[in-house]
Order: sequence, then C-alpha cells, then structure tokens
Amino acid sequence: MIAKQFGILTFESTHHAIEGEKLFKSIGLDFKTIPTPREITSSCGLSIKFYLKDINKIKEIINKNKLAIKGIYKFWKENGRNHIEKICC
Amino acid sequence: MRKEVDARGEACPKPVIMTKKALDGISDGIVLTIVDNEVAKENVSKLAKSSGYEFKVDKKSDSEFYIEITKGEAEEANVCIPDTFKDMTIAISSSTMGNGSEELGKILMKSFIYTLTESIPYPATLVFYNGGVHLTCEGSEVIDDLKKLEEEGVEILSCGTCLDFFEIQDKLKVGGITNMYTILEKLKNPTNTITIS
Repeated sequence: MIAKQFGILTFESTHHAIEGEKLFKSIGLDFKTIPTPREITSSCGLSIKFYLKDINKIKEIINKNKLAIKGIYKFWKENGRNHIEKICC
Repeated sequence: MRKEVDARGEACPKPVIMTKKALDGISDGIVLTIVDNEVAKENVSKLAKSSGYEFKVDKKSDSEFYIEITKGEAEEANVCIPDTFKDMTIAISSSTMGNGSEELGKILMKSFIYTLTESIPYPATLVFYNGGVHLTCEGSEVIDDLKKLEEEGVEILSCGTCLDFFEIQDKLKVGGITNMYTILEKLKNPTNTITIS
C-alpha cells in the first residue's frame, strides 16, 4: 500500500478483527491486517489499515454487520514518527 | 548539564551504550563522547540522529573523534540497537505463527512480517523452509511486504527442497531459492537468529 495517510480501524476483540477482515475481503477491498500501532494502544491487538478514500465503504460494512469496533483513526508518518488522530466512534 | 564519555579503546557497541546511558542520565544538556575510530563515530552519530538530538563531530586526528550531542527538551526516542542486529537472520518454518489456531496463526504471521517492514534495522536475511515457503509463493498475502523488505536489502531465501516437495517452484514470487548448506550458514550463529514456527 503506497500512500502518505491511512485509516486504521480497531476492534473490540481479535475475533471481531478476524470477522472484519473476512467481510472486507469479501467485497474486494484493498487493505491490510496489521498489529495495532502502539500509539493507539499498547495492548496486543489487530487492526485494519485501509485507504482513507474507502472510509465510507468501511463504515457501511461496519454498520450493516454490526461489527464491534473500537475506533477509526487517521495515521501518518512525519520525520519517521507515527502520528495518530481519532476520526470517529 | 555537561557530561563527558571517554569511549576510546571500547569495542562496539560499548561506545553507543555508554553514550546512551549518559544521555538518559540527563534531562537536557550536552554529552561529549570521545571515540578512537571511524565506525564508533558513525554509530554514536547514528544514535544521536535516531534520538533526534543535535550533534557535532570534531575529528581531532585519525584516532580521536569528539562527538558533541545536545539533548534538548527532547522527545523520548528510539533505543540504540547493537550492531549485531544488522546481521540477524529470521528463520520461518511455517506459514502460521505458533500453535493453537490455524486461523489466528495465519494472521499473526501476516502481522509479524508487516511489523518487520516497520522496524529498523531490518534483519539481514529471512529464510523460509518447510511450510514457510508458502509465504514466498503465489497466493501468499505477504508478498508485498516481503518485496518491500527485499528492496530495502533484506535477503529473502526459500528452501528449494521444500518448494519442490510442495510442487510450487514455479510459483515463487519473491526472493531466491537456496539449499541446506546456505540455510545452515545463515542459521549457525545462534545469538543472532530468531526462529518463527
């Protein structure tokens, strides 16, 4: 994935993350399952890294399937440091 | 605060560790590290750089380098990593990480390889064998990450016998094919090898 900024979607549990991954795969979305960046939470967890242009599709899937998510963040790198900004939920 | 670290005669990574300790010991101020060789100078400079501190190098002679590091109201920074990590080999013997759940294991492995792309320094070599070779072949979800690592200079090697066994030689998408002699060579330094299975 090549871009400057990404969306990061975090979940209530690993099971929800796996469920989310399956759903996003099924609609052919270009995304990546990654370990949740430490800047969001220091606990071990999985999240979905996606292109911000897909945010509406992501939200639609979340609502339709009642995915238990924790938050959606904007994520970018500047001078080698990670930056995080909460977008919603 | 001003501290002086005389690291002349110290072998790598000692000068870096001494400098780091001195820097950690002050909230702000200057640490002056003296080293006696080019490599140590480079490594101490790298530490300053990766920590986001200003530094100046003054070469007094071929065996005397003064590195003056100014620690501002700095943000906490990357910990210095000993040079040995640069030669690290990671052996991957399965397409999943750990036992317990195959589904989870697959995701953990994906996560692990993604995290490798995000962590500097990169390992020198990734060796894939047995079920691990599925990760370098068509259908694997980590090809992009492995290609990225390869572009960064990480050597990616898949066991030829294993590719042959699974009949996927023609499906290899990233890195080269290797044999047991090379695998042993890569793995024989136990202090510098991690096995993921």
